[in-house]
Amino acid sequence: MKSATLDIDRLREAVRQLPNRGLAPSREAALAHLDEHGLPTLRDEDWKYTDLSPLVDISNRWLHAGGHQPTSADRPDIADAIPGSIDAIWFVIADGAVDATPIGHSEARGIQVSRLSDAPPQFAAGRPLADLNAALRQDGLRIRITERLDKPVGILLIDRAGANVGVTQSYIEIEVAPDASADLIEYHVSDGEQDHYANSVLTLNIGEAAEVRHVRIQNRAKRHVQTGRTSVVPGRNAALRMASYDLGGALIRNDIDIDLGQPGADVSFDGLYLAGDGQHIDNHTRVDHRVGPATSSQEYRGILNGKCRCVWNGKAIVHKGADGTDARQANHNLLLSEKAEIDAKPELEIYADDVKCSHGTTVGQLDEKALFYLRSRGLGKNHATRVLTHAFAADLVQRAPVTAVTGTITDLVESRLGELIEADFIADLLT
Amino acid sequence: MLDIKDLKSRIGESEILRGLSLAVKKGEVHAIMGPNGSGKSTLAQVVAGHEDYEVTGGTVDYNGQDLLELSPEERAREGIFLGFQYPVEIPGVNNAYLLKAAVNAKRKHQGLDEIDAFEFLKLAREKMALLGMDPKFLNRGVNEGFSGGEKKRNEILQMAMLEPKLAILDETDSGLDIDALKAVAEGVNALRDPERAIILVTHYQRLLDYVEPDYVHVLSHGKIVRSGDKTLALELEERGYDWLREAATG
Repeated sequence: MKSATLDIDRLREAVRQLPNRGLAPSREAALAHLDEHGLPTLRDEDWKYTDLSPLVDISNRWLHAGGHQPTSADRPDIADAIPGSIDAIWFVIADGAVDATPIGHSEARGIQVSRLSDAPPQFAAGRPLADLNAALRQDGLRIRITERLDKPVGILLIDRAGANVGVTQSYIEIEVAPDASADLIEYHVSDGEQDHYANSVLTLNIGEAAEVRHVRIQNRAKRHVQTGRTSVVPGRNAALRMASYDLGGALIRNDIDIDLGQPGADVSFDGLYLAGDGQHIDNHTRVDHRVGPATSSQEYRGILNGKCRCVWNGKAIVHKGADGTDARQANHNLLLSEKAEIDAKPELEIYADDVKCSHGTTVGQLDEKALFYLRSRGLGKNHATRVLTHAFAADLVQRAPVTAVTGTITDLVESRLGELIEADFIADLLT
Repeated sequence: MLDIKDLKSRIGESEILRGLSLAVKKGEVHAIMGPNGSGKSTLAQVVAGHEDYEVTGGTVDYNGQDLLELSPEERAREGIFLGFQYPVEIPGVNNAYLLKAAVNAKRKHQGLDEIDAFEFLKLAREKMALLGMDPKFLNRGVNEGFSGGEKKRNEILQMAMLEPKLAILDETDSGLDIDALKAVAEGVNALRDPERAIILVTHYQRLLDYVEPDYVHVLSHGKIVRSGDKTLALELEERGYDWLREAATG
């Protein structure tokens, strides 16, 4: 099967219009690599459930309209973009434009911030969508954390309504120095009726014995497409607690790669995805245990209603010699509609001897006994359904590693679940 | 209050209630006894409105309303309470939330404002003290990891908070040690009221030592085969159910 391809000539023109000329050599190299290898198709094992043609289509329409970067006139207001007030040191990438000035706390001790264009990197060939990012990014944000921070560092990635179809790239590098400690918030949001494709790349390097807690929230507009790759390299005895919440968007694909090359690292990464009519949310995770002892655990949960499809593919590779590995993965799904589809695929490849590995996947409907129990206490069917669905998600909400965002996540999840179940309620009335 | 006439019900292909009639007036305590499979739990579930049980015949009148027309939640709001034989564990929903939501669903139905948070806590703690429950149970998941006795106490707590007009307690005594049984019985006795009716569904006579019924009925093959006062329960304890079964089928 041949999927649509990017119009590479027009892409080249768009790349040449970009600001920050210092990045031009790496952009050209990325473009050449992308031209040679193309974007993945459904024939690629890692992409068999997710068809990229919608984002190719958006990109080509954008390129044919001139491939201009949106000009962001004003700085977005954090309080307008994110519900609940989160006390954090904020950075903003608005419509792909990087703002390296912190908001909220003028003197941000223990944080060094720069732009990618301040010291342009050599191009390193990556995955195709990372190549697209390297070719088309306006700039990038580099954050180095050198101390144990007492306030979270937040990054707002916002794409605002344009009159035309849009494509934006974001690139973030975060380095956490040895023994430092940080709470990180990554908040993706967009609005507008026009089609939009956002492509993000984040790399996170964690120093020896450093601690990182990271929350990623994605709450894009209904028609919008997002792909993102998060690559994490934890150092010796480093600790990472990560959680992702996917609430919006039409087509969402998240890739998380965790490369455990140092002993003593302890990482956990959880994810919650709430999908309704027309949504496709794909989470691909990969952990490479190269040495032991080290621990990785992940738990993804999904609530699906209406005609939608979600994918969870959790790969853990325990390389030869990585003895003392403890790798756990779990994926649980609640399907509230017969039209909802989940493709859940745990993959364990073990080449070491002394390892503990486990995986579990469940797919199911609401517990009828619990539903009757609640109704017999006077809760309406809709209310009871919402309570049980919320309970399914509550665990992952309560476990959000950055406590400063727990309230925001609770509100967002509550409101999204309300939409999902209300929609179902209406569908019930119609049939 | 409750008038059941010739009630027939089945689940799937199997017919369980085969023409059951029972009248319960306010202020009365009825015990329904019978061997396993006689239809005791089915009766409780049908009155509470479980949709898996299909009613194929008969009528159920509840304070002048056709009960069978009401959804489970409407029945609850109208004052019917079912104490489950196997209370469901619901991780992620805390007990306080459920109690409050249940109380408010009923209050809303009655045209009252939602219960004040302070008032709610005070009331819940009072009722818990009566049942010998640790107030910490309020913040635990509904029945999550509760022992058998704790689950049954939790059912009685819900009943005490909801103050139903008609309470049906389905084998609330099963699996309880003597202390838990006494606590549960005390909770039930505290709710005896001239305005309230209570139906105790039980296999054994034991609970009836502590909660004295006004009437005892024996259910067999989906019908009431004998009714009497509390002495009937003692007779059953002595003679078992077989003689009644023979009397019913013979």
